Amino acid sequence: MVESVAVPISVYRYDPARDATPRYVDYSLDLPRHTPVLTALLKIRSEIDSTLSLRYSCRSSICGSCAMLINSKSRLACQTQVGPELDLHGRVVVDPMRNQPVLRDLVVDQGPFWQDYERIVPHLVPDPAHPMPEGKPNPMTPEQVDRFYETPRCIACGACYSACPAKEADPTFPGPMALAKLYRFVVDPRDGARRERLLRIQPGGLWTCLRCHLCTSSCPKDVRPSERIRDLKELAIHEQGATEAGSRHAVGFKENLHDRGLLNEMRLVRQTDGVVGLLRQAPQGLRLARKKPELLKKPRRIEGQDQVQKLYELLEDEEGGA
Amino acid sequence: MRLAYYPGCVAQESGKELDMATRWVAKKLGIELVDFPNFSCCGSGFVDEANLVLNVALNARNLSFAEKAGLDLLTVCSTCQGMLSLANKKLELPAIRTRVDTALAQLGLEYHGKTKVKHMLQVLTESFPPERLRPLVVRPLTGLKVGAFYGCHLLRPADELGWENAEDPHSFEDLLKALGAEPVMYRGRVMCCGFPILFVKEGVANQIAGRQVEDAAAHGADAMATPCPLCHISLDSFQNKAAKAVGHKLDMPVFHLPQLVGLALGATPDELGLPRHMVDTDSALRRIGTVAVPG
Repeated sequence: MVESVAVPISVYRYDPARDATPRYVDYSLDLPRHTPVLTALLKIRSEIDSTLSLRYSCRSSICGSCAMLINSKSRLACQTQVGPELDLHGRVVVDPMRNQPVLRDLVVDQGPFWQDYERIVPHLVPDPAHPMPEGKPNPMTPEQVDRFYETPRCIACGACYSACPAKEADPTFPGPMALAKLYRFVVDPRDGARRERLLRIQPGGLWTCLRCHLCTSSCPKDVRPSERIRDLKELAIHEQGATEAGSRHAVGFKENLHDRGLLNEMRLVRQTDGVVGLLRQAPQGLRLARKKPELLKKPRRIEGQDQVQKLYELLEDEEGGA
Repeated sequence: MRLAYYPGCVAQESGKELDMATRWVAKKLGIELVDFPNFSCCGSGFVDEANLVLNVALNARNLSFAEKAGLDLLTVCSTCQGMLSLANKKLELPAIRTRVDTALAQLGLEYHGKTKVKHMLQVLTESFPPERLRPLVVRPLTGLKVGAFYGCHLLRPADELGWENAEDPHSFEDLLKALGAEPVMYRGRVMCCGFPILFVKEGVANQIAGRQVEDAAAHGADAMATPCPLCHISLDSFQNKAAKAVGHKLDMPVFHLPQLVGLALGATPDELGLPRHMVDTDSALRRIGTVAVPG
């Protein structure tokens, strides 16, 4: 017999049709430490309060239905055990996912999530130059498949979308899942729309990613969206050059280091945003420079800068996406 | 203890107060910092977006100097920590390893992946646990409520940084307690400061920074503290703009991590470069019985 422990659980409850504001309801259950949070919630629903609303299905981290906030982390409830949460927080607090409107209790409206997904055209676009062989397989080499072996693992649970601070601050940002999926089509050798995809996504939000890696931390399937977004940025620069503020900043930063090896902060503002941008930042720059006069000076040139420049020559034409 | 000191660009330039505080604290704790005038910028998470392999090579070059000297490397910036750790991780991939090794060989350099990269927070946690640090505290930060702000790249991706729970970390709060301060727990402590898009989508970046400052304030913080000078730019240097973006007045002193350690170990505000901050730190200093002399 596995020993049970007392598990205090606070659950977010809200029915927009009846409640003026959301509230937390506290429950206490006796459960073995390895009990999944989902099991605890279903126990509450079957034994204490049958009105608790939540989404779930497989209970095996496959369907992606039960993503929610568990002690502020975006997680699958079926994959998160109560024991470690008690150790860290002394209780389990359950909220609905962020960045999506609450329909009731722990159930959110996933409409925006799927609309953002549709924006990236999530299917292969046939390449007229290389038509798919009819009735036959269209084989890829292991190397080609290796480039995107992580992304098909995605179960579209929305945990990354919920964890994303860029999505929270800028609703036009498509979110990590859509961008990870976009990467998957961009590097698929059977897809004929690679260039259009890379051109369209740049003004469409690619450069809003903060690369905070909160998506990668929250992903239950280790899809690593933040790394795929990084790869997309490099591919986009290769395809189109530095045309957006974001790509100008990345390429400008790289060029910035070429001369001295350390960042010239003021020069970078000009590289990203041109003279107009520099003028726009001037009042703030001057305000800062009063206390931080280094801002107006060039950095020192590091010793061995010729080595750095040689690395640029040797690796200038590399395309990463590794 | 001897460590190769990797200050990063900002601590040598507009965030010089971080370098001042780091050197003061290291000296006090008997950590010998070895300078390497040939260290370049880490790429800051931007160069890799333009050319990943080049960025790994730049950092392999940096790491090779410490390796040759037989030293582990000390960072004082979450982003430097992240980028140098990323290089070590990426060099485990044979395709990248070969390209980088070949390029380094042409410079007469080699790197075998042995340099351990440690942020000051990790060094303090591992080598100066509370029982060792507490007796050195001459000015306990008693009464000061501090919201630790970790900075993304010190924590994530967890398998690259790999020394602390990325979403429920506690090393910074443990350190604050050892210094006598009262840590404030709030969601924003593991969130992004907005810096990576500060010059790309400024309004969004300011709003993100403002939310974290508001969050810390709402949980009772008198001050925030960060192990990352880029977070410091977002939270301190641009706090005026963050306040506009969230539509509230903000007045939150933001310390660099070694500044708080220095204050507790007896440094003067001037020695730690506190007058260089954009948001006045006096309100916090008054709580611990010291006030900055105007610089």
